[in-house]
Amino acid sequence: MRIVVCVKEVLDPDAVNNYALAGRLEIGDDGKTLTQTTIPQLMNGFDEQAIEAALLLRDAGAECTICVVSVGADPANQLRHASALGADEVVGISSPVAEPDAHVVASLLVAHIRSLGGADLVLCGRQASDDDQGVVPALIGEALGMPVVTVASSVELADTSALRVTRVTPDGDEIVEAAMPAVVTISNEIGDPRYPTAANKLKARRVKPTLVGPDDLSLDADALAPRVLLTQQFVPTVQGNCEFISGDTPAELADRLVARLREDKVLP
Amino acid sequence: MTTTAIVVCTWSGARGEVLEEAEAALTLGRKVSVALGGELQWLVVGAMPEGGAEIAQRQGVAVLENIEDAKLAGGQADAFVEALAQYCAERSPRLVLFSQGFDTRLVAPRLAGRLGSGVVVNAVDIEAAADSPLKVTASAYGGDTRVVYELAGAEPCIVSLLANAVLPESVEGAASPSVRNVAVDLSSVEERIRVVEAARTEGPRLEDAEIIVSGGRGLSSPDNYKLVEQLAEALGGLPGASRPLVDEGWVDSSRQVGLTGKITRPGLYVAAGISGASQHMAGCGAAKAIVAINTDPDAAIFRYARYGIVGDCLAILPELIRAAKK
Repeated sequence: MRIVVCVKEVLDPDAVNNYALAGRLEIGDDGKTLTQTTIPQLMNGFDEQAIEAALLLRDAGAECTICVVSVGADPANQLRHASALGADEVVGISSPVAEPDAHVVASLLVAHIRSLGGADLVLCGRQASDDDQGVVPALIGEALGMPVVTVASSVELADTSALRVTRVTPDGDEIVEAAMPAVVTISNEIGDPRYPTAANKLKARRVKPTLVGPDDLSLDADALAPRVLLTQQFVPTVQGNCEFISGDTPAELADRLVARLREDKVLP
Repeated sequence: MTTTAIVVCTWSGARGEVLEEAEAALTLGRKVSVALGGELQWLVVGAMPEGGAEIAQRQGVAVLENIEDAKLAGGQADAFVEALAQYCAERSPRLVLFSQGFDTRLVAPRLAGRLGSGVVVNAVDIEAAADSPLKVTASAYGGDTRVVYELAGAEPCIVSLLANAVLPESVEGAASPSVRNVAVDLSSVEERIRVVEAARTEGPRLEDAEIIVSGGRGLSSPDNYKLVEQLAEALGGLPGASRPLVDEGWVDSSRQVGLTGKITRPGLYVAAGISGASQHMAGCGAAKAIVAINTDPDAAIFRYARYGIVGDCLAILPELIRAAKK
């Protein structure tokens, strides 16, 4: 079976978050881009876990070709990482649109999957940690006529033609089955992705990702017309208004806090 | 033909949705409909919620619409997307606005894919003006930033409103809405995803809790999470956690409060050893009162908190348990 894993490079969300926690997150002159150059780029964490989901299927005995695909200007680093992890094919697709939205990205991925002759399973991270949208997998599923199973913590083969997926829902774990081909999005509950071995890392250094351009894919104008345009980005302000409880000992602090909460009718 | 109808869509079969959030979406939908001179419609898919007519009236809904079909009874996404696609083909609304829950997070973009529309999820606001594209503000980077998107593409625009982003506001003296049943043909729909084992909610849900006590990294070790559970019990509330504790495997993911976990709205939220990352605050920022306990006086959590204690939560929590029991 062919498994296509879609990955995206993002700014390290922990670094972004540390700047935000320190109140030092800055937006560039264009009014919409995070420009702090000290924030590294890396593969979206959920996408790395989507690769892990593919590798776990292979570990469980599935005979599969794992193809990792990314749309972006400079995909080499993350695709080498994918290769070191065990991807059989790594493909970078360049976008003819300067700021591709989810629709354009999905169109490029779908066109590439079609050019491969289809896929039995498309794995994606549940969302990217930059825009948090998680829209691309749903668009891929609609375009290819595949069911979309979201927020998975485990993916197994139910038989040769169907998947058994555990989903993390607000009501607890749900187990579903769907016939392949299907799109599945992976959540962090699947567990930490593995590290590539040193030998595989060395080997991957020599790997050259296959580069695909829009001319290699059959796409019409509508497929490349963005529907969602980012016009602005800003850091929301929070009005701090905290009343600090004072006291000399933990017991005193606790008694004063509880008394204050009762006085303000926050507690009965 | 495209109309200026603004349709707020809620789905009774969807998980993780609250009626208050439907009302918040109606308030936002009304703002857009006033700006565009369109009619505000509320489309309820599945069973009409209790008190729906009253909510529709106080939100100034012109038409209360209902799609009922046995195939829509509980969380079946294929039937839902097909029903909405048929509805949009017939009515051509300008905007379809969802109140975001676990299931709508998927069906909103699927519907957009089906219709060729632009879609934005995690929305917190919409700006509308005649003859210009809708501007949707959404949360990004786990809440660290907000982004503004302009929506082009085929209509309707599809937007999913993040919980707790908008406060419901009523209008006075609105007429009661007309009621319309919408017929759809779902006979050809066969769900492609089969539920083998349904999720079971065990006990009360964090989403409904009046008091939540959550722990974070400051707890230092998995054993100390019992302090969080004990304080929650002493206060008559439920225990929650920030994402690092779930990622470390200290607590079950059903306890996770935050953007990728539970979006809660308790009266009191006690955050013990939690730094206050935006990702987490997205799940508890709507609490009426937040108590923060953290060793770092500059921790972001104190910017959101109404009451703060600078100190080690491992020392404070046992004393709070004692004090709460008094």
